[in-house]
Amino acid sequence: MIKHYLKVAFILFAICAVAAILLALVNEITAPRIAYNTEQTTIATLEAVSGGYSQGERREGNGSDISYVVPLYDDSGVLVGYILEIVTSGYGGEIVMAASYLTDGSVLQSKVMSDNETPGLGKNAEESWYMDLFKGLGGERPLPESKNDLADPSVVSGASVTFGGVSGALRSGSAYVKSLGGV
Amino acid sequence: MSHRSELTKGILKENPTFIIMLGMCPTLGVTTQVFNAFGMGASVLFVLLGSNIFISALRKVIPDSIRIPAYIVVIASFVTIVEMVLHAFVPAVFSALGVYLPLIVVNCIILGRAEAFANKNTVLDSALDAIGMGIGFTLALSLIAAIREIFGNGTITLFNLSETQRLVITLPGLSESPIRVLTLAAGALLLMGYLKAFFIWNGERLARKRGGKA
Repeated sequence: MIKHYLKVAFILFAICAVAAILLALVNEITAPRIAYNTEQTTIATLEAVSGGYSQGERREGNGSDISYVVPLYDDSGVLVGYILEIVTSGYGGEIVMAASYLTDGSVLQSKVMSDNETPGLGKNAEESWYMDLFKGLGGERPLPESKNDLADPSVVSGASVTFGGVSGALRSGSAYVKSLGGV
Repeated sequence: MSHRSELTKGILKENPTFIIMLGMCPTLGVTTQVFNAFGMGASVLFVLLGSNIFISALRKVIPDSIRIPAYIVVIASFVTIVEMVLHAFVPAVFSALGVYLPLIVVNCIILGRAEAFANKNTVLDSALDAIGMGIGFTLALSLIAAIREIFGNGTITLFNLSETQRLVITLPGLSESPIRVLTLAAGALLLMGYLKAFFIWNGERLARKRGGKA
């Protein structure tokens, strides 16, 4: 009987071992490429949301939802705002966003860097028209707390969780930038 | 059954979506755009082919008592390989498929075909079964996605990797006043019910015809 269980256990172990070796080999080939792609995406995204301002030295965020902060300077070297990398939750898990703000906390530009949202619904957050819904808000005019605060809530229908995640992240970023002030 | 029948049965006669009713979660979830249906169908086809070949080749080695965990290891490995390769070399497709890519592990079609077919048949027949079922699944997803997108959004998205790499046909009239419920999960369920009813009606009609001839 023991012999039977040992045989069965060995077969399952062998299958798992072969699978692990195969995955390790594929990972060895793909990991550097994935890291390179991620770095390139980050550089391109920071450039895209910088609004034409010069980027300063990257520094640590708040240790929770804001991973890092990049100050933005105008041509004369005056601090005009910040880019934040913000991590939030959507319907399909983690959403990583980059958002630039003016020092008064208003959103300059924002972009989703990675997500696992539903294609055709939550994935619309990757579109520029989606992020335009938040542009200029967060300073004098508040950012929306739910889709009902939008002029046309139907544009995000079927993806309320994603909208809540994105909007919440941008509100958190806006509050953080306000706490940093213009210094 | 001939090799040709093994290949073609999954397309209509034993279509995994409309007849066997397997893989309903991605069917309802991913069919918001035609392009998503192509991507999901191609990924499932690859994983199904790989897992069916491996499970069929190992069918005399894997004891009955551990067959399910063994199948899951094989299937999960193939899905992870697809995920890593797409992430590294076609990041746009990886991003477009989103959460549905890892969910292929729990797609009933893959485990269903391993359990019902691959562990009882030869490697060649299992490969043909996987190709036929994969094509049948892709066609079913594409049909559902086309109806949902045309009537629910007034568009047909044939290619959609980013805002600059996109091929979308906009249908005048429908795009201005679409039946929006079709883009939602409830609309998918409703449509699935009508299509299932159609396939049952069509199956019975064909059976009566054959009976009449005999």
